[in-house]
Order: sequence, then structure tokens, then C-alpha cells
Amino acid sequence: MAVNVNYVVRETATNLTRNITLGLASVATVSVSLFLVGASFLIRQGVANATLQWKGGIEFIVFMQPDVSPSQRTALQQQLEGNPAIKRVKYVDQKASLAEARKIFKDQPTLLQPIEDDPSILPTSFRVTPRDTDVRSVDALKRLYQDKPGVYLVKAATDTIKTMQRITGVLNIGLSVTAVFLFGASALLIFNTIQTAIFARRREIEVMKLVGATNWFIRIPFMLEGLVQGMIGAGIAVGGVYYLNHFFSKRLASQNGVELLQNFVVANNDVLTTSIGIGIAGALVGVISSAVAATWFLKV
Amino acid sequence: MIKLENVSKVYKGDVVALRDASCDIQKGEFVFLVGPSGSGKSTMIRLLNKEEDPNTGHIFVAGKDIGQLSSWKVPFLRRNIGCVFQDYKLLSNKTVYENVAFALEVIGRPRHVIKTQVPAILELVGLSKKQKNYPDELSGGEQQRVSIARAFVNRPLILLADEPTGNLDPATSVGIMRLLDRINRTGTTVVMATHDRGIVDTMRRRVIELDRGAIIRDQARGVYE
Repeated sequence: MAVNVNYVVRETATNLTRNITLGLASVATVSVSLFLVGASFLIRQGVANATLQWKGGIEFIVFMQPDVSPSQRTALQQQLEGNPAIKRVKYVDQKASLAEARKIFKDQPTLLQPIEDDPSILPTSFRVTPRDTDVRSVDALKRLYQDKPGVYLVKAATDTIKTMQRITGVLNIGLSVTAVFLFGASALLIFNTIQTAIFARRREIEVMKLVGATNWFIRIPFMLEGLVQGMIGAGIAVGGVYYLNHFFSKRLASQNGVELLQNFVVANNDVLTTSIGIGIAGALVGVISSAVAATWFLKV
Repeated sequence: MIKLENVSKVYKGDVVALRDASCDIQKGEFVFLVGPSGSGKSTMIRLLNKEEDPNTGHIFVAGKDIGQLSSWKVPFLRRNIGCVFQDYKLLSNKTVYENVAFALEVIGRPRHVIKTQVPAILELVGLSKKQKNYPDELSGGEQQRVSIARAFVNRPLILLADEPTGNLDPATSVGIMRLLDRINRTGTTVVMATHDRGIVDTMRRRVIELDRGAIIRDQARGVYE
């Protein structure tokens, strides 16, 4: 059946304005929940970037001299692998180091350029996961290797990194749980708004059914109402996420000397992906909640 | 045009609204459904419009068993059936013109069709001069004319009227009956449930009398009782 676009737009606009307070409540809940989802995702990405080298329980890194000989390197690898206190050793060559640098400095071309021009300035390294992760054991291992031939520097995971990983882990769980609850609440609110809109227009709907309007014709304006609410909520959430990213990028970039915080950057395409995700989630929550309400309350 | 075969309808609590009812209404007929309150007149109207389904039996409209109709096809059945009610069911926030146009708009009729058909039907029901008025600015009889215009604007094959004169004085009722008669003369089958003895006795059309859900009389050119 031909759907009259003018009619659908007019009816959707009427529905949106007729129930403005409930509609605003839905939009606010959608925006807060999606903002939390987005913020949680960005924090996770930021922490992942800042602690990229320390993933998977790596406690210290042995950086080699740029001019290390292959025999020195092999000897060190054998010593590391032969040490019963060490669980796992991973060798990161220049190619892998470059790939890692590209990830970390994705949005900082001025820092990346010298590395791209001459990748040989990047040191190769061994990423070491010891069996025992307490400070004393790690410190003992660190001292054992820092004077070996060919070794440039041994860097241990600082307490800051561990604390950061732990706090953001908890923060992320908290944000995700809150976001899920709020997301559920926004779905229910949109459902409720559509139910109220259907009740307010029950007389018109009765007439529409009597004269032979199809169910889809009756449902579409209500579904569009839900979609618009979801999209407006998502739009506000995206704005919030961009502002949050901008705010923190500025603050963290000015933390001179705190290397870890400088690494806490979120790439622009991560923000874009998050925004697209938020947009899709907003549209889906709007359409699905309103479609369920419209199907439920508009039986033939 | 309409055929009922052993149709029964029982509501919750074993309330029998229609009991083994059978009848056959031809195209272009004008039929009165008479009987006391609770005899099953309105139930029969609702079954014909597929607002409800019978418990047993078959109902055929324009040759189709509407019990077999899937739910998405019901709106298309209703486009062939106009409905008029005692309480008019007009939309108070729309003008006379908009109320009638609404019926065409929601079934996707193009704007140029609406622009020609609505004034024509308002002319037929004698409300051309009141097309910009709202329902609460009209008399009961005028409101019922708008309701008839809305039911007939899509030129349905059947017009169902459930006590259309129930809220009107006798003089106004005569005007409404003249209008329904005029519509019937265009070939539209009219089925009207009524309590109005005077109208039935004056019109002398086919009368189907119901009592406690059963058809107890089916008489051509009949009277109320």
C-alpha cells in the first residue's frame, strides 16, 4: 500500500509534540545511557593504548641495544627461557615494535614520523611474564638481566600501570552495568511513551481500523516517533562523547613528564566507531521498543 | 453479498450472543435487523465487519469466507464495508471535511482523489456549507450525516449501520433514512440494526428479527413485529 509521506511526517510530528514531557524523559535516558556506553568504550580504548606494552600479565620488558649482535640476543633469550622463575618470554622484533608504535602514536604524526623515517631507532625487546608477580621477585629478575651484554634497559610494570588497569577494570564494569540498566530503562520509557501516544489517539486509531487502514500504516508514525527519540538521544550522547574526548585529550597532553598519561589517547577513528555504534544503538532501541508497543497495543 | 451459515457467538461466561444463525443477503438489498437489546444485532454487525470472529459457522462477504482471511487482509475487507454507529465516532479535532478526507487518506488514496471525492460526498449528504465546521458545532443529525459520508466516501459494497437513528429525534431520523435509502439505490447493500419501529414500518424492507441470539423471523417487506 502506498504510504503518504506527508501524512506520516505530520502524524509523527503531532505524536512527538503531543507528549512532549514523556518524550523528553525518553530522550534524556537514551542519551545518558548511550553516553555511558560510549565513555566506557573510550576509557577502555585509552587504557588499552596506554598499557599496550603491558598486556597479558607482562611484568617487565628487556630492551636491547640497537647494535646488539644476534649471538648476544640468542644468548639472552636462552637465559630467559631457561629461567624457572619465568613463565613466558615473547620476543618483539623491529617490525612488531613499529606496528606497536603506529598504534600508540596513531594520532600523533609528529612523534611517529622520525620512527617511520628510520625504524632502526626502535629497540627490539623481550616481554617477560614471571611466575611470581610480587614486587620483590620482579625486582630481583629485573636486576638479574639489566647488566647482561646487549641489554639497554629493563623496564618493569609500575604500580601506576597496575593500579590504572585495576581501577579502569572496575570503572568499566560499573559503567557497563549502569549503562545496561539505563538502556533498559530507556527502552521501557520509549515503550511507555508510545503506549501513552496510542492511548491518546485511540479514537483516531479506532476510526482508522474501521475504514480499512493497514496495521503498518497505523504503526509507522508511532515507530518513527520512537526512532526520532532514540536518534535525538544518540545525537546528544555522541556530542557528549566528543566533548569528553576533547576535554581529556587536552588535559592529558599537558601532563608533561607523565609518560603513561600521555599515552592515554583515543584515536579519532575510535571516537568515530563509538559514535556510529551509539547512533545504531539509539536507532535500534527507539524502533524496537516502539514497534513492540505498537504491535502490542494495536491489535486488529 | 452476505451469507451466514450456522453462525454462533458465545462470549465469556457462556453468554450466547448469536445462536446457529443463517441468512443470505443479496447485493443491493436493504435489511433491518430488529429485536430487543441483547438479542445479537450488534454482534452480527461486528461479525460482518470482522471486529470479532464467530465460535462456529461461516460468514461469507462478497463470496469470501472471512473466517479464512489472514489478519493482514482484514483492512482490505473493511474497505468494502462502510460502518455507521449510534455515537457517530467522529474526530472532534478535525473539521467535517477532514473527518471525511481522513477515511481516504489512511487507505492511501492520492490527494487529487480526496479533493474530488470529499466535496462530492458532502454534497450528497447536504453538508457542503458546513465542511469547515467542527463536529461539536453540528446538530446530532448533521453529525450522523458526516459519519455516513465518511462510511460511503470510498463507495463500499456494503454499509453496516448500528442504530444510526438511536440518538436522533423522529424528524431528523427520517432525513437520515432518506439518505441511507438513496445510498441503497446506488447498489450498495445496507444492513441496519434498529429499535425504531416507525422507521421499519414505514420503509417496508426485509426484516430479520433476532431474539436471544436466534433468528426468529426473516420477512421480505416486513414490519417491526
